[in-house]
Amino acid sequence: MKFQIEDVTVYFPYDHIYPEQYAYMVELKRALDARGHCLLEMPTGTGKTIALLSLITSYTLSKPNNPVKLIYCTRTVHEMEKTLAELKLLHAYQTIHIGDRARILAVGLSSRKNLCVNSRVLAAENRDSVDASCRRLTASWVRAAAVANPNLPTCEFFEEYEKAGSNAVLPPGVYTLQDLRAYGKEKGWCPYFLARHMVQFANVVVYSYQYLLDPKVAGHLKGPEGISIKCVRRLRRRFKATDAGRLRAEYNRLVEGLAQRGNLPFTDNWLSNPALPDDILKEAVPGNIRRAEHFLHVLRRLVQYLEGRLETDNVEKEGPVGFVASINTHAGIDQKTLKFCYDRLHSLMLTLEITDTDEFLHIQTICDFATLVGTYTRGFSIIIEPFDERMPHIPDPVLQLSCHDASLAIKPVFDRFQSVVITSGTLSPIDLYPRLLNFHPVVSRSFTMSLTRDCICPMVLTRGSDQLPVSTKFDMRSDLGVVRNYGRLLLEMASVVPDGIVCFFVSYSYMDGIVNSWNENGILKEIMQHKLVFIETQDVVETTLALDNYRKACDCGRGAIFFSVARGKVAEGIDFDRHYGRLVIMFGVPFQYTLSKILLARLEYLRDTFQIKEGDFLTFDALRQAAQCVGRVIRSKADYGMMIFADKRYSRHDKRSKLPGWILSHLRDAHLNLSTDMALHIAREFLRKMAQPYDRAGGSGRKTLLSQEDVEKMGDGILNEMQY
Amino acid sequence: MASGHVIKRAKYKTSPKGAGTPGVLKMTENKIMFKPNDPTSASKIDVEFRSIKGYKNTKEGSNNPPLLNLSLEQGGSYIFEFENFLDLQVCREFVGNALTKSGDAAKAKSGDNAKAKSGEAVATSDRSTVTYPDEQLISSAEMELRIKLLRENSELQNLHKKFVLGNILTESEFWATRKKLLDGDSGTKSKQRVGFKSSMILDIKPMTDGRTNKVTFNLTPEIKYQIFALKPAVHRAFLNHVPNKMTEKDFWTKYFRAEYLHSTKNAVAAAAEAAEDEELAIFLKDDDILANAARQKIRRVDPTLDMEADQGDDYMHLPDHGIFRDGSKEITDSQHEQFKRTFLQDLNRQGEVVLEGRTIDVELEDPRTVAEALAQSRQESDENAKQERLDRISRMTEMEDLQAPHDHPLAPLCIKDPRDYFDSQLLKISDDTRAGSEQLRCSLSSEEAYGSLRGSISEIKAMGLSDPVVRPEVAVMVLNGLTQNISSTKFQLGKNAQESILNSLPNTTKEELLHHWISIQELLRHFWSSYPITTSYLYAKVSRVKDAMSKIYPQLEEIKESVPSDLRQQVFLLVRPMHQALDAAFQHYEADLQKRSAKSGEKPNGYV
Repeated sequence: MKFQIEDVTVYFPYDHIYPEQYAYMVELKRALDARGHCLLEMPTGTGKTIALLSLITSYTLSKPNNPVKLIYCTRTVHEMEKTLAELKLLHAYQTIHIGDRARILAVGLSSRKNLCVNSRVLAAENRDSVDASCRRLTASWVRAAAVANPNLPTCEFFEEYEKAGSNAVLPPGVYTLQDLRAYGKEKGWCPYFLARHMVQFANVVVYSYQYLLDPKVAGHLKGPEGISIKCVRRLRRRFKATDAGRLRAEYNRLVEGLAQRGNLPFTDNWLSNPALPDDILKEAVPGNIRRAEHFLHVLRRLVQYLEGRLETDNVEKEGPVGFVASINTHAGIDQKTLKFCYDRLHSLMLTLEITDTDEFLHIQTICDFATLVGTYTRGFSIIIEPFDERMPHIPDPVLQLSCHDASLAIKPVFDRFQSVVITSGTLSPIDLYPRLLNFHPVVSRSFTMSLTRDCICPMVLTRGSDQLPVSTKFDMRSDLGVVRNYGRLLLEMASVVPDGIVCFFVSYSYMDGIVNSWNENGILKEIMQHKLVFIETQDVVETTLALDNYRKACDCGRGAIFFSVARGKVAEGIDFDRHYGRLVIMFGVPFQYTLSKILLARLEYLRDTFQIKEGDFLTFDALRQAAQCVGRVIRSKADYGMMIFADKRYSRHDKRSKLPGWILSHLRDAHLNLSTDMALHIAREFLRKMAQPYDRAGGSGRKTLLSQEDVEKMGDGILNEMQY
Repeated sequence: MASGHVIKRAKYKTSPKGAGTPGVLKMTENKIMFKPNDPTSASKIDVEFRSIKGYKNTKEGSNNPPLLNLSLEQGGSYIFEFENFLDLQVCREFVGNALTKSGDAAKAKSGDNAKAKSGEAVATSDRSTVTYPDEQLISSAEMELRIKLLRENSELQNLHKKFVLGNILTESEFWATRKKLLDGDSGTKSKQRVGFKSSMILDIKPMTDGRTNKVTFNLTPEIKYQIFALKPAVHRAFLNHVPNKMTEKDFWTKYFRAEYLHSTKNAVAAAAEAAEDEELAIFLKDDDILANAARQKIRRVDPTLDMEADQGDDYMHLPDHGIFRDGSKEITDSQHEQFKRTFLQDLNRQGEVVLEGRTIDVELEDPRTVAEALAQSRQESDENAKQERLDRISRMTEMEDLQAPHDHPLAPLCIKDPRDYFDSQLLKISDDTRAGSEQLRCSLSSEEAYGSLRGSISEIKAMGLSDPVVRPEVAVMVLNGLTQNISSTKFQLGKNAQESILNSLPNTTKEELLHHWISIQELLRHFWSSYPITTSYLYAKVSRVKDAMSKIYPQLEEIKESVPSDLRQQVFLLVRPMHQALDAAFQHYEADLQKRSAKSGEKPNGYV
C-alpha cells in the first residue's frame, strides 16, 4: 500500500497496516525532520522493523536532495539476517511500484568468519583464528612476499578482488550474508572485503551494533534495551604472549619501521572503529614510549604491577583515578602513557607485521585496560577478587574493570550521527534511558498494541497441584515438592497445549538440577510421551542444532518442549512465534546473581548517580528479563500464545507492576493467584477460543487493521489513539 | 488368479500334530507335487488334482498354524503347513481353481459323475450357485469393511443388491473390482513404519536385586538398535570389534559398564577406568562422529536461529571479556571434561534421532545386520535441504495478517456429486458463448458481483451503515448476479442443446437411465475382464453377465418409447452409447463362442 505522511509518500509492502505502525512512522518521520535522536517503544509482534525500514527508504525517495543513509544495528547475526530478509521484501515491492528509482544497495556486514568463502581459512575454529589466518593470506607484506616467492600461499578470492580494482562493486540490491557469500563465490571475489568496501556506497548497512561502539569500552553490552553498557576486563595470571625476550628480538629487527605509521593499506587496518575518541587519535604518542624497547619496558612494569595487585587476600574496589595514581607511584607510569598503550601496541604490531593476531589477545587486553583506565576518570571501577565466592579455598585471583556508565560507550555514536533511533519492545520506563545514556531525544514515545482479540493470556501461577506454593526463592528451590509441582505443571500443560512449549529457568545450574531430578522421579519420561524435549546448553553449536530440531518437531506436528535459560543466548534473540511457541512457562523470577562484586559496584553507582534504589533496580531488571522471555511468543496479531509466570512472588504487586504495560493489560485479576489445575482449565478455554475464526480487521469499536483508504481517511486521528 | 503354477515352501504332515517334513510344494494346473528338502525322505508326493476330493484350511487369526488339508477321493489326506498365512491363501486359491476346473473337466467326460462326488467344501458346478471357493477367506475385519462401504454408499448397495443377490455376480467377483476401496484403509495401515518412542534411552535402567552389588541390564534388539542410532561411536565400535575382537556379550557388558560409570557422575573414576581400558574409553569419551556431524549440520541450519554465527560478532567470546563471576557459569573441572557428557546433551541427541525416524527396515533380531544396515543408511546423504530452508525463511519474514489472504479467489473444491461439477462447468462454457445474446445476464460476471459485494461490505465496515444501506441498483445487480447461478438450471431448460440433457427429463426417467448406466458399466467391467476365457468358471461368469445385459437392453428400449415425443430425441442420444457398448459386448461374445466351438468341435456347445 501507499500513503502520505505529511510530505513523504510511504511505500509499505503489505495491503494493510496496523494503526500503531502508522503512528510509529509518523513519529519517526518527525524525528528525521528535526534531525534529532529519538526513542520509540512498541510491543513485540507489531512489526517495528518493517515500519522503520519502509519509512526511511520512502523518506529518501521523497526527498532525493536529502538522502538518508541508514545504519541498522542488530544484536545478533540471525537478527541481521531477519532484518535483511524483510528489507528484501520491501525492496522488491518498491521496485515493482516505483521502478528503478527505488533501487538501493543494502549489505549486511559481519566478521570474516561469517563471510569468508575460502575453505582453507574456514577450517579455522573460531573467529580470531579465522581473522588471523585471513590476515596471514592477505596482509600487504605477505602479498608482497608472495610476488617474489610464488610458493607462499595467498587467498585467491582476495587476489581476484584486488585485480578487479574499482570494478569490484555490488550491483544494487539487498544482500544478506548468504547472498554475499554466494555472490563472492560466483565472481571469485572476497565477500568480506567487497562488503566492507561497499559499505561506503550502500544506502542501508546492517551490522552488529558492536561495530559502532568503541570496542574497548563495549566489552559487554546487553542489547539495545540493556540498562547499561558494561565494560569488563579481566586479567588472569600471566599472559604467555608477553614473552619479553621473543618480543624484544622482533622489536629490535624493525624498530625503525615505526616511522612509517600512517598510510597503511586498508587490509592491515583492524576493523576501523568509527567511535574512537578523537582526542586519542589526534594527540601524538608521548615521547617516552615512542621507542619500542621503552614501550616494552613500560608494559613489563605494568604487568608486574598488576601481578602484585593480584596477590591480595581481600576483595578490593577502586576508582580509576586512585588506580592510576597508584600505578604512577609504584610502577612509574603516568596517566598519559597509559592512555596511549592501545594505540602504541596497535602500531607496533603493524610494524612488526604480526599476522597471527590471535596469539596477542592477552597483551591487547592489557593495553585496552591501560588505555581505559588512563582515559576515563569516572564511570569505571576496578575490582580485584582473590577467589570465587563459591569456592573460597581455591585461589583464583581476578581483576576486573567494570564500566557503570553506559553513556561513555555510546557517546561517540550520538556525536557522529544525525539521528539515532533507539527502538525496542521493552524500553520502559522510557524517561530513564535518556538519563542513563546522557542524550536528549527530540521524540520519545511509547505505543500501545491494538489487539483484535485477546491473543495473549498471561497467568501467574502461585501454587502447584497440591496447593502448596511454588517459587525459586533460594530457600525453596531445592525443595522436592516444588520441583515436583513444577514438573506436574509442565506435564499437564504438555498434554493440553499443541505444538511448541518453551520453558525458561533462572539459571543453567538450576535447569540442570531440575531436569535431572525430573528424570529421576519419572516426570520427564511422562512429559516425553507427549512431546520431544530439547535443551539449551552452554555449547552454542549444540543449542543451535537443538533449536533447529525443535522447529522441525513443531513443523512436523510431533510437538516439542524447549528448555532455556533467562538471560541466555536463546532468551535474548530467538523468536518462538506462532506454533513454535504456544505457551511460555517462566519458572521462577530471574534475578541477577547478587553476590557478584561487579553487580554491587554497578548498583552503588546507580544509587549515587541516579538515585535508583538497589532493590528496585534488581526487581525491575528481573521482571524485564522475564517479560523479554515471554514476549517471544507473539509475532503478529494473528498469532496467539499463553504465558505462565510460575512463582508465588509474581503475585505481589511490587513485582508484577514492573511488567510492561501490554502484558499487564491482559493480566486479569482472576489470573493472579492460580494453582496448576486452574491454570490448566484456563489454558483449555483459551486455546479453544483462539482456534475459532475471527475478523482480522477488528470487529466493533477500534480498528486494528487499516487499509489504504482507512489511512487516508483517518490521518492523524490514529496518532492520538495509539499513544499511552 | 490362476497363474500357471505355484511354488511354496511347506511342511508335509500326515497328521495335524506331527512334526512334518520340510520341503517344496509345487502345484501346476492339474498336478500337486511335493519334494522334501531331504532327498532321501520317503514323503514325496505327486498326485493329480483329479484325485483330490476337497480341502480344508485353518483360518487366519486362530491359534493354529497355517495348515492346508487336501482330502483324497480314495480316502486319507495330505496336510501341508505353510510358513505364513499369505502362502496359505495363495495356495488355497490355486487349489480351489484347479479343483473347479478338474471337476468341470471330469464332468465333461463322465457326465454328472464328479458332481455327485463333490463334497461340501468343493465348488459345486451347479451353474446358478457357483460359490467361488475363497468365500471363507474373508476375515471378519474385511467383512466389516465391506458392510461399512455398502452402508455408506447407496449406489454401491443398489448394485450389490441387484447383482450379487440376483446371482449374476458372486460376492468375491463383485468386490474384486473394488479392491482399491477395500485396501484403501487397511493397505496404508500396514505400510506405515513405527517410529521411535519418545523416551527410549530412559528405558534402560539397571535393575538391582537389592542384596548383592550386581546390577542387571535388560537388552532387547529394539534397544540395541536405539543405542546404535543414538551413539554412532558405539555403532562404529560394534562394527569394528564384534565379532573379531570380542564377543557380542562382552561388547554390551563393556558398554553398560561405561554407562554405569557415567551414571555415577564420577568423572574422575571414569577417567581412571578409561585410562586402563581403551575400549571402555570409546564409550566414555565424547562422540567424535557426532561432533563432526554437528559441524556439518550447523552450516545447513536456518540462519534466523543460527546463534553460532554470533560468536565472532561480539566481544563476549574474546578471552578476558564479560563478567567473569556472575554466577551463571559452571565451575567445571576442565581436566576430565571429556568424560562428563551431560544428560542434557543426551536428551538433545535423543530428540534428534526420534525426529530422524527409523532409517532401516530390517528384522531387529541380529544386531550385526542391524548395525550394517544402519551404516549403509547413514551414508545416504540428504540434500535439497538448502532450498527448503530458503523457502522457509521467506515464509517466515512475511507478516501473515497484514497480507491479503493468498487464497481468496478460490472456492474449495468439494465434489460430492460429479454431476453438479460438470453441470456447472457446462454452464460456464455456455455463459461465455452466449455472452452477446443475453444482455442482462452477461453485464455482470459472478466475480465482479462478488467483488462488488466485498467492496461494499468493507465500505460499510469503514463508514458504518449510511442511510440507504446499499444503493438499490447495486443491490439488484448483486442479487441477480449471485442468484443467477443457483437458478440457472431453471432458466436454461430446453433453451440450449449444450445443456445437460438429463436435467430436462422427468425425474423418474432420469433416475432410471442413470441406474441403468451404472449397472451396464458394472456388468461390462466384469464382462471384459473375464476375457480371454481360460477356465470354465470364467465361461460361466461370462454367460451369466451376458444374460443380465441382454435383460437390460429391452428395458432401455422401453424407456426410449415411454418418454414424451419432445424429449425422445434427447433420450435417444443418451441411450445410444449404452446400446453401442452392449452391442459391442454381444458381438464379442458371439465371435468368441464361434471360435471356441470351431476349435474344439468334439466338445458340446458350451460345457453345461
